Amino acid sequence: MSTTTSTAPAVGRDDLARLAEHWAEPRSLRSWFTTVDHKRIGRRYLVTAAFFFVLAGLSALVMRTQLARPESGVVSPQEYNQLFTMHGTAMIFLFATPMLFGFGNFLVPLMIGSRDMAFPRLNAFGYWVFLFAGLFMWASLPFGAAPNNGWFAYAPLNQVQHNPGLHMDVYALGLLFLGISTTSGAINFIVTALKLRAPGMSLNRVPLFVWAIVATAFMVIFALPALNADNAMLFFDRRFGTHFFDPSGGGNVLLWQHLFWIFGHPDVYIIVLPALGIVSAVLPAFTRRGVVAYSLIVLSIVAIAIISFGVWVHHMFATGLPQLSYSFFSAASTVITIPSGIQIFAWLATMLLGRLVSRVPLLFVIGFIVTFVLGGFTGAMFALTAFDQQVTDSYFVVAHFHYVLIGGAVFPMLAGIYYWLPKITGRMYHEGLGRWAFWLAFTGMHVTFFPMHLTGLFGMPRRVYTYRSEPGWDGWNLVSTVGSYLLALGLLLVLVGVVHAVRRGRPAPADPWEGDSLEWSTASPPEPYNFPVIPRVRSLHPTWDARTAESTTTGATADRVLSDGRRTLFTSELDARTERAVAMPEPSYKPLVLAGALLVFFTAMLLAAYPIAVVAVLVVAATIAAWLWPPRRPDEELGVAS
Amino acid sequence: MTTGPGPHTRLAGGLLLWYGVLGGAVAWAAHLLVAWPLDELTCAAGRERVAAVPLWLAVWLAVVIPGLVTVGSLLVATLVWRRTARASSAGAEDRAVDRSRMLAVVGVWANLLFLTIIVLGGVAVLVFPPCQG
Amino acid sequence: MTDRGGVVAAATGVAALTTEEPVGRPTGWWGMVLFVATEATLFACLLGSYFYLRFQFGPQWPPGGVDKPKLLIPLLMTAVLVPSSLPVIWAEHGIRRGRRGRLRAGLAATLVLGLGFLALLAVEYAENLKHFTMTTDVYGSLFYLITGFHGLHVLVGLTMIGWLLAASLRGGSFGSHRHERVRNAAIYWHFVDTVWVAILFTIYLSPRL
Ligand code: HEM
Ligand SMILES: [Cu+2]
Repeated sequence: MSTTTSTAPAVGRDDLARLAEHWAEPRSLRSWFTTVDHKRIGRRYLVTAAFFFVLAGLSALVMRTQLARPESGVVSPQEYNQLFTMHGTAMIFLFATPMLFGFGNFLVPLMIGSRDMAFPRLNAFGYWVFLFAGLFMWASLPFGAAPNNGWFAYAPLNQVQHNPGLHMDVYALGLLFLGISTTSGAINFIVTALKLRAPGMSLNRVPLFVWAIVATAFMVIFALPALNADNAMLFFDRRFGTHFFDPSGGGNVLLWQHLFWIFGHPDVYIIVLPALGIVSAVLPAFTRRGVVAYSLIVLSIVAIAIISFGVWVHHMFATGLPQLSYSFFSAASTVITIPSGIQIFAWLATMLLGRLVSRVPLLFVIGFIVTFVLGGFTGAMFALTAFDQQVTDSYFVVAHFHYVLIGGAVFPMLAGIYYWLPKITGRMYHEGLGRWAFWLAFTGMHVTFFPMHLTGLFGMPRRVYTYRSEPGWDGWNLVSTVGSYLLALGLLLVLVGVVHAVRRGRPAPADPWEGDSLEWSTASPPEPYNFPVIPRVRSLHPTWDARTAESTTTGATADRVLSDGRRTLFTSELDARTERAVAMPEPSYKPLVLAGALLVFFTAMLLAAYPIAVVAVLVVAATIAAWLWPPRRPDEELGVAS
Repeated sequence: MTTGPGPHTRLAGGLLLWYGVLGGAVAWAAHLLVAWPLDELTCAAGRERVAAVPLWLAVWLAVVIPGLVTVGSLLVATLVWRRTARASSAGAEDRAVDRSRMLAVVGVWANLLFLTIIVLGGVAVLVFPPCQG
Repeated sequence: MTDRGGVVAAATGVAALTTEEPVGRPTGWWGMVLFVATEATLFACLLGSYFYLRFQFGPQWPPGGVDKPKLLIPLLMTAVLVPSSLPVIWAEHGIRRGRRGRLRAGLAATLVLGLGFLALLAVEYAENLKHFTMTTDVYGSLFYLITGFHGLHVLVGLTMIGWLLAASLRGGSFGSHRHERVRNAAIYWHFVDTVWVAILFTIYLSPRL
């Protein structure tokens, strides 16, 4: 190793020119449809998920307006059912996970020192599918055909004899469609993190955010099939007269519930884990030190990812099964709080031991800790079966999971948006505006959802479109509604802040926060090839570490510049030893075509136009065949024996 | 200066490390996938025994065997942790050692967590009659 | 370090314990393995649902006068499908040494066996449809959904095999340095085979237990 020949300064100008040429991302319409650049795709994920968040948020505001006073008539019961179902479904499936996948897409290759994801075209495909699936589901709302069965769509109400119309067909098909995107994204994250890490980034030097994304991706791989199987059976029951969930034909309604929660509980962590990863990524910059107890946080991530598969029955404590079989799940439900606690204490210790830099991202992190801990507290109350049976299906539950989801996912995402905005857009945001946004959102959140604990305890059931005037209900409901407007205002200010930054923001330096991970050693925004020289990583905090920095300047070697083509490095799975340089794919229309054909397929299935669906399947098969068709190579290169 | 162990020994060592890291997780998953349906389905069918074995005993075995596997995994993780401690205090900067050490730390704590869950489930087997609703 | 006293001592030495494993797999391999993992979970959910519904249903299974499934055709199907993995393995080993002829012959053999399986599936359906359909009761729903879904996987697998065959007939596609696609399709095909064994057990054998 010590006999490296090159001690040339950084990279030559011709190397940079060649890199720019091979990785060029022209600003043309064609490039817009064909790009495979993970940064553009990541940005699109963020923007699209934010768009669905706005739609779901507006649905919530309509609901809150309806509930502000007893017996008001802003929406009809049918409309209300569709609103809360679309609100929940979109928040969970079209906002939370894709938003975090957006962060992952943008950041994972940058954090591990790679030039793109492992499968860039698959990545583009995943985005288009997400977009189309989201539009597919939302498009049903103006037709009055949106899902209306609650976001977990319990049987038997989801059966066609109880719930005619297209509503639940949209739900089943839409989620199956979206599942393709989520699964392909998950596979892509895992393979990227396994094979594309910069040389030297052994597992003990992988940023916590990347650990979180990979753990999440593994959870998707093993959790999503349960939801897919469930929805496939639901669609068959509704459309083709099978009897999976239909007791009159020997089926069983609990099967839906079981399969749904086998997916659904891990899904809560699928949403929360990467958000916690954001927190671990943001903290070092604002405490001026690494997060305390790295190994224990890795442990906590891995343990949560696994244990969350064993707790699903706690959602069904109200359904009546043998005591003993409950206890296996109660044990897991209790123990899973330990790893979550570890993370919280590690962050608190980090903040105590570090020097706090009070900027907007840190405010959101603190807001997250406060809110999430409160949500965790009410969650621990559910672990007591007796209490759970008391408050199941009341507003207490609504309060609880909004504390967990807004505290545990939305606040970290907002911290992440402010933190990485300079990297994503190359502009700084306005600090004062950001503070206003934080205080409004934080106050609004608690004013909206704290009173729901009370209305829940007073007996107000969830999912009712209105209520009779009762002592204690009216006033608190009005408070909740006012709070939701405050929260909306805060979120609007976030949007204003982003737009302001993009338009007027002052140009951001490469590393405005003196962050520790590799994305801060690229330009803001990064060049299409991310790194002129792929670094050689020497520690857990490569950007704070002089030896890693040296590997990209005076220590740069040609095998890490790779300027003769569109290339990046493969390294070994655990210790990131250099294996070989590989060519990365060029932009292509095929991902878009494939996703479009799938959209046609699912729409045709929805409208029972089966011949069209068959044609779409053929197009799908043909596109995949062409996509993967091996290029023709001379025999010497292939290695052919006679 | 040593030539080091042969490929088979290396493979065995690499797999042993993963047993130390994930053994408890796998054992717990097996425990859950056996004990839970065994209990619920047998009771639903209105029986209290599986073939010739009383139900409580069958469930009990589905607790004890995974429990022992987890204990083994815990021991292996501890072993790796101690071996790598010695290696890294000997001063060699080798990221493979640091990596294994981190995985060993993860393994030790993870196995403790999984052992706790399995033991808590085992206590429940002693407390509840298997089919009490 | 190498203690000749025991394999155990060597395997628990630092050098062995810090061995990198898994190592050196290409991205395509990882992608396919993860895809198969998620698909396998899907089948596990379907088969789990079968047992759940069956046990919740009560002692009489299959319900409502339907006979226990006959074994002749499914056993034939097994005899056709399970050995069809062998020619793929043979073909893959061949192309690793650059033997294109073996690749083509092996793929063609698997293609024929796979098509044979689908033909037998059609016979099996024709026979069963006389007695019950997907809408008769939950047993019929499970039977047709699970076997049909697996049949679909066989079809997808065959498409892959046929596609590989076409690419290898064109020439200029595979050789001893380029055979990742062959390996990935082979992994998928072995998976489809293995799942069939689980289905044979669940749908055909378990009602007789
Ligand atoms: C933006 C502020 C938000 C407001 C004002 C809000 C308001 C509401 C209200 C009033 C309900 C209850 C409807 C009912 O039971 O009748 C509800 C349900 C729900 N919300 Fe939100 N919410 C907000 C954000 C979120 C977020 C960020 C998430 C998830 C990431 C989320 C997930 C859900 C879910 C899953 C349901 C349950 C839907 C169902 O009952 O099927 N909400 N929300
Ligand atoms: Cu849960």
